[in-house]
Amino acid sequence: MKAGELLARLIGGTLLLSLYLFLYAPIAYVIYVSFQKDLNWPFPPSWTLAHYAALGADQTYREGLWNSILLGLGSAVICTAVATMGSIAVLKYRSRWRALMVVIFLCPLFVADLLVGISNLLFNRQVLNLPGNMGSAMIGNAVHCTSFAFLIMLAQLSRYDWRLDDAAMVFGARPLRCFLEVTLPLIWPAMLGAFLVSFILAFNNLEISFYNLGAIPTLPTIAWGSLRFGLGGELFALAALVNGVVLGAFAVMYLLMRYRVVSFGHRE
Amino acid sequence: MATEIASARGQLSPEARFLLLALPGALFVVTFLILPMLSILVFSFWRTESYNLIPEWSLDNYVVLFTTPTYMTFLLRSLLTAVAVSMVALIYSWPVAYFMAKYGGRYRLLLSLAVAAPFFTGVILRITGIQGIMGPVGLINMGLMNFGLPPISFLMYTPTAAAIGIAYLFIPFMVTAIYLSLLNFDFELLEVAKINGAKAWRAFFEVTLPLNWIGTIIGLVLVFVPALGDSITARFLGGPNAASFGQVLSLQFGETGTWALGSAMGVVLFLVSSFVIFLMWRSVNLRRSGFTGREG
Repeated sequence: MKAGELLARLIGGTLLLSLYLFLYAPIAYVIYVSFQKDLNWPFPPSWTLAHYAALGADQTYREGLWNSILLGLGSAVICTAVATMGSIAVLKYRSRWRALMVVIFLCPLFVADLLVGISNLLFNRQVLNLPGNMGSAMIGNAVHCTSFAFLIMLAQLSRYDWRLDDAAMVFGARPLRCFLEVTLPLIWPAMLGAFLVSFILAFNNLEISFYNLGAIPTLPTIAWGSLRFGLGGELFALAALVNGVVLGAFAVMYLLMRYRVVSFGHRE
Repeated sequence: MATEIASARGQLSPEARFLLLALPGALFVVTFLILPMLSILVFSFWRTESYNLIPEWSLDNYVVLFTTPTYMTFLLRSLLTAVAVSMVALIYSWPVAYFMAKYGGRYRLLLSLAVAAPFFTGVILRITGIQGIMGPVGLINMGLMNFGLPPISFLMYTPTAAAIGIAYLFIPFMVTAIYLSLLNFDFELLEVAKINGAKAWRAFFEVTLPLNWIGTIIGLVLVFVPALGDSITARFLGGPNAASFGQVLSLQFGETGTWALGSAMGVVLFLVSSFVIFLMWRSVNLRRSGFTGREG
């Protein structure tokens, strides 16, 4: 190996390691502190589960957890459905509207959360005459997640062989039956990936949920309220738990992809 | 063949099927993203009175916005922060993504998922984490104080702290976008360039970068847009001297209830980010970057 390439490897590797340090040091520290009695200077360690007990006993957090799950499920169902249909349309059929549809599906990526939140708030209130509620928050989050779900579906389905569907049609299957019996069994991993990612995004969203939920609490809005009063023990416990669940979900995705159960758009 | 079968059975044409499948999603986005954005454009020309929008058309909100020096300061500060963060993220992410794509080998997937995963915990809990490290009672400053050293003042409620926070939140987007682009890039093209006598840096700027420019632009946009619209990082990490445009925008929807002015701010925020996206998109030369090496 030449000196130049060695240097390139060395620099790239060092930068990647520092990026991991930058990204994971706060997460590791949050998890560590969540088990400590002294939150400000937890050295030497004195372990406790008190923060988790406090978090579990807090009625607001329990209510927030339930609302966040509901919100995540609702949004994930909506955007997995529209993203699946949209990605099949774009990949399977030629149409002069194709480019336009792709642009529409991707444009939520280019609008900041804050703007999605406030514009939906005013639109619902002023034009549709709807008060802020779980439904409008689900819709607001689903709009934002649709792009992510769509991209995951596109990446995963780009190598799907649509002739399988044609073959089923030749043998007389109706479109719905063809979808349920041929397409769905093959594309469910992509749909699961899109569903998981949109669920996690909506579950953890702050700004869109905040402006559309009225007085209904979710975990991120409660965490926001509590962060205003500084870092409390239950906040550390919550952050540790959510990080644990998200990293766990990614570990599962990694194993599924590594052992070729699904690819979520990744190629070797 | 499918077409013939379809028409023989009196079914829909491919065009109709396309629309049947794509329209629900497109209408969904139009109804709950584009129409709301258009509605705040309309409201930005109205006025607010005791938490109600009054349809009396005027340019007052924009006049207030552009003649109040503090609002312009906030806008300029947000713009500068967003540009600075995007640039730093861009320069940092390229070697990282390049390393993952070229030398990652069989660990490539693990390396790239590990970059993306932290993003999904959500803004507020990630800020909690970064406050645990950088905040006034965070690891760094408490550690320094314990060893009798003064705290690092630029980490406590300054614009720099806010910028670090924003970079922390959105750098995974940049690395992932460039990495995905490089995944489809044929590194053998570089060998060809070298055989033809190009130095490494020249091969990079004339082959690698142009062919991955669209991925790079997508990364830039995905970092720039949320960085410009940031309100939470500035509030929790930035302190009084780092108040961002997004932060005053969100105030209009909180205590003050001046929705019309807030709508005008939203419109300005959207126009500024669209303009920057437009400038970036103009730098794309489709003939040079449309083809990204190996097919599928």
